[in-house]
Amino acid sequence: MAVATGQRRSLRGRSGRATAAALALVLLGLSFVSLLVGYPTLSPAGLGEILVGGGDELPRLVVTELRLPRLALGVMAGAALAGAGVLMQDSLRNPLAGPELLGLSSGAVTVVAALTVFELSVPLVLYPWFALAGGAAGSALVLGAMAGTRGWNSPALLILVGAAVAALLGAAVVAIVRLGSPNDQQLVLSFLLGSVGGTTWVDVRVAAPWLAVGLPLALVAGRPVNLLQLGEEVAESMGLAAARTRVLVLVLSAALVAPVVAVAGAIGFVSLLAPHVARRLLRTPDARRVLPAAMLVGAVLLVGADLVARQLLAPRELPVGVWTTLIGGPVLLVMLRRQLGGANR
Amino acid sequence: MNGAGSRSAPSATAETGPWAGDRFRLAFLAAVALLAGLFVAAVALGSLTLSPGDVLDVLTGRSDNALHDIVVMDLRLPRALVAMVAGAMLGLSGALLQSITRNSLAAPELTGVSAGVILLSVLWLAYGPAGVRTGRIVPLVAVLGGVAAGLVAYGISRRGHSDPLRLLLAGVLVSAVLQSATSMVVLVNQGATGGVLIWTIGSLNGRVWSDWALLWPWAGVTVLLALLSAGRANLLQLGDDVAAGLGVRVERSRIVLLIVAVLLTAGALAVVGAIAFIGLIAPHIARQLAGDDARRLFPLTALVGASLLLGADVAARVVTEPIELPTGVATSILGALFFLYLLRGQRR
Repeated sequence: MAVATGQRRSLRGRSGRATAAALALVLLGLSFVSLLVGYPTLSPAGLGEILVGGGDELPRLVVTELRLPRLALGVMAGAALAGAGVLMQDSLRNPLAGPELLGLSSGAVTVVAALTVFELSVPLVLYPWFALAGGAAGSALVLGAMAGTRGWNSPALLILVGAAVAALLGAAVVAIVRLGSPNDQQLVLSFLLGSVGGTTWVDVRVAAPWLAVGLPLALVAGRPVNLLQLGEEVAESMGLAAARTRVLVLVLSAALVAPVVAVAGAIGFVSLLAPHVARRLLRTPDARRVLPAAMLVGAVLLVGADLVARQLLAPRELPVGVWTTLIGGPVLLVMLRRQLGGANR
Repeated sequence: MNGAGSRSAPSATAETGPWAGDRFRLAFLAAVALLAGLFVAAVALGSLTLSPGDVLDVLTGRSDNALHDIVVMDLRLPRALVAMVAGAMLGLSGALLQSITRNSLAAPELTGVSAGVILLSVLWLAYGPAGVRTGRIVPLVAVLGGVAAGLVAYGISRRGHSDPLRLLLAGVLVSAVLQSATSMVVLVNQGATGGVLIWTIGSLNGRVWSDWALLWPWAGVTVLLALLSAGRANLLQLGDDVAAGLGVRVERSRIVLLIVAVLLTAGALAVVGAIAFIGLIAPHIARQLAGDDARRLFPLTALVGASLLLGADVAARVVTEPIELPTGVATSILGALFFLYLLRGQRR
């Protein structure tokens, strides 16, 4: 019996590694394509030449100043959002927990919109801090509105409170844009939908330090998050200060989301969807294994969606958030149908 | 009237005593008075503030001030009328949806209905046959989107056991996807859909007599339909089994009432945009005053909805003067807070 279990575990472990390798390959392939296509479309040889420092002036600038930073931000943002999604879902034990519904994205977007629209002289480097403060306020609003009600942590209540707070803060963003720079619908939409278009190395440099610290921390957080998944009492009995750990984990996930919102806006559904996809692929809820896989899935989703956003209606470009929501919403609905059905019992 | 409440009204609460009729009449009169007061305020307040006497002079044609005439007759009066009628329609739509689903949290914007109406309107604006892209045809087309989205959300939520929050769950997700599609259409067709963004939030800015002309025929028919369907709504509120036992064809009635609700939403949205939360709040306030009997609830809801939208519009115009906020911003902020408050009561 013990042997059988051991065998199964090792089998699963191998399939996990295979999954991760496959995801990494897909990500690599997508990255390659996203550097090649567009205007001008390059040949692989031409791209290779540019990457080692050669090539013509124009294609080199396009690749190094436009496509590379955009790709880098896409990969980082996808991984960060997905990691935050796993942390939130597992620590709150709620399959719908994510920055969108927890008020994190909308709170951060409201603050960033105010900073941008009113042209306050805040250096870009500080944007993530402001986004973090806004996100924390938004989450406090959602969790505060949910706390104290019976069955407070049900997915159903979260989605309703989250939708109400999102409507509230969405209206605030519209009001801000209206007061600051009327008639700019593009601006409102790019804030609310999230976009990595027009990314420069400056944006990447703003977000990178946060994620360089946050992503490894998230990977390390797998063990305590696993304990939180078991419920407060079990976690306590195994020597974990559950309440404090949960707060720390939530702060960590907020710190992953804030820099992304600060430079790219509120890209929806990546952090809701990626953890569920990763769990399906690995067939395990074990956060230690789900976290890295989900980060890869998130990066694949975001880079893939951005490729669609760039190419499908070229030369016109749509914000990547449109596509992640459009694809992510129905997929999530189908994946969670059974879970939601029994969620509010 | 005293007897009317208790004769056949299938009221779920104890609002059927001998005093219920009096209370309802009192509430009704109070709502009419409130609406009248707000109406005077809406016409009088703004960058040019008039006294109630001036307003009365203009309305009765005795004013000799040409500026007053223009401000009141050409700008504020049509806008106030549009606000009242659209508010009544949105409120009634919410009341109908709440009866159909037996769910006091149902509302056009929470069941996917509004999002469906918006998406189809925007699609029509962008890709409809040239020449008939605007005007009366838009709400007619948009109704299809609203009905479809409402049915999808309702269908998803009916799988398995029934639960009052599941419909909203499905509705919120369906709305998110439809909104995303709407954003896409708007971004791809900036030219054809300029100004649509403000419309998706809802605004009464610059509504004039031509908008009123678009609204009132539609409103007349749909409000009448809604009031006439109160009896059927009462039966549906009893629950599927009881209603079926009384000879009601439940699913068919439900779809008919859904269509009426969507007609109301589509007509209002076509003129004032996707103003949120009136459909949620108005029936709630009215229910506190009139109880669950739809024959009382619906008329009172219409009055409350009219007052809410008119009041929100005055607030949106006056509070941040001289910049005017879209009315939908005011209703969203107030409505979201009210919704959170309702959820607390619901789950306690």
